[in-house]
Amino acid sequence: MSPLRRDTYQRPGGAALHNASRLARLVLCAALLASVSDTVSAFTVTIAAAAPKTVYLQVGVGGFTGYYNAGGTPGNNATVNKNSVTVAAAAVGNGTPQAMTTDSTVGASSYDGFAFCNVPAQLYIGGFYRTTLPGGGSVNVTATVPAALVDAGGDTLSFARISWTTGGNGPTGSTPTQPFPAGTFTAGAVQTVGAIAQNQWAESCWTFSYNNTTLPAAGTYTGRVLYTLTAP
Amino acid sequence: MRPLPRLLLLTVLVVAVPADAKTTVIDDSGTLPYDAPLVLHWQQLSPRRPVNNRMTGTLTVRVKLHVAPWLRRPGRIYLALPAQQPGAMSASWSTQGRLLPGRVSSGSRSLVYSGLITTPFIEDVLQLTLEVDGTQLRQLYHVNFRFEMDEE
Repeated sequence: MSPLRRDTYQRPGGAALHNASRLARLVLCAALLASVSDTVSAFTVTIAAAAPKTVYLQVGVGGFTGYYNAGGTPGNNATVNKNSVTVAAAAVGNGTPQAMTTDSTVGASSYDGFAFCNVPAQLYIGGFYRTTLPGGGSVNVTATVPAALVDAGGDTLSFARISWTTGGNGPTGSTPTQPFPAGTFTAGAVQTVGAIAQNQWAESCWTFSYNNTTLPAAGTYTGRVLYTLTAP
Repeated sequence: MRPLPRLLLLTVLVVAVPADAKTTVIDDSGTLPYDAPLVLHWQQLSPRRPVNNRMTGTLTVRVKLHVAPWLRRPGRIYLALPAQQPGAMSASWSTQGRLLPGRVSSGSRSLVYSGLITTPFIEDVLQLTLEVDGTQLRQLYHVNFRFEMDEE
């Protein structure tokens, strides 16, 4: 330090005050240096969720590999299953509901393999909705229902003549509130047929029946219902 | 004028306490990549019960720690994951042997080196896996780690 600089720092108050002041400055410098070294902070990674939402819906035969409760993997399956009934000529229109059966062979739950549905009487429906959103939200499953089933001659039968009950084997099957409850098709409409709570598997077994209260022309009536799971 | 230096001294002494502590953040500015993107995937694509909402992702990190200030002195180095957004997290990593593999939860730290500091830099390649509660993810988050030196 030059004499000139030393003179500049001369202040009234004596050596003790001078030394304290200098010590303060030195310690302050040390403290500042220490804080600088603290800010030489470590590495950073930027995280983001990839495909944070996943939906899976299976009506009849599905594409699940493995089981849900064992980390199974959902996949696509193009199979369209059929539910049908053949009404005996003598019984047509007699008012006795006619149970329908499915060509789906799936009775086991994709959740854990449990024999949840009884085929061919019951049609399996199940799925899940994966999301990062908090809370207890759910998504709906809808059915897009044509106005009518049609035969080769153009005769029609309203889809509203088909209903279903719901259930399943085991304790969850007997639960009064099934995720996919009983219902009746609304002809020519898109109707909600169930809900899936987020981040949970939902499944039910549907038993379809034709209400058999009219006398349609003889024929084979067909129609296709499209089930859709939509997530926001 | 007289009270001012005392006040300064007191203030400085309070501030200076951390400088006397034995834990120091290590300069790891040579670590690459910096602020690297880490894409997280569901640990369980299908959320089996009990529902596992953890998301996970792995990243390779070339760690370079500037430890020259502790050269020829014994020390313990920790990898710390401070508590931060988006909430509870954990990180695990494997190494190529210079540092110790381990696991750390947010708000804590884990030992990665103990012994004599023999070189100005400690380098290793970490396979860092981060686990986050997927339901907490709203946006991009910058997750900060730091290496700390405890002098023996």
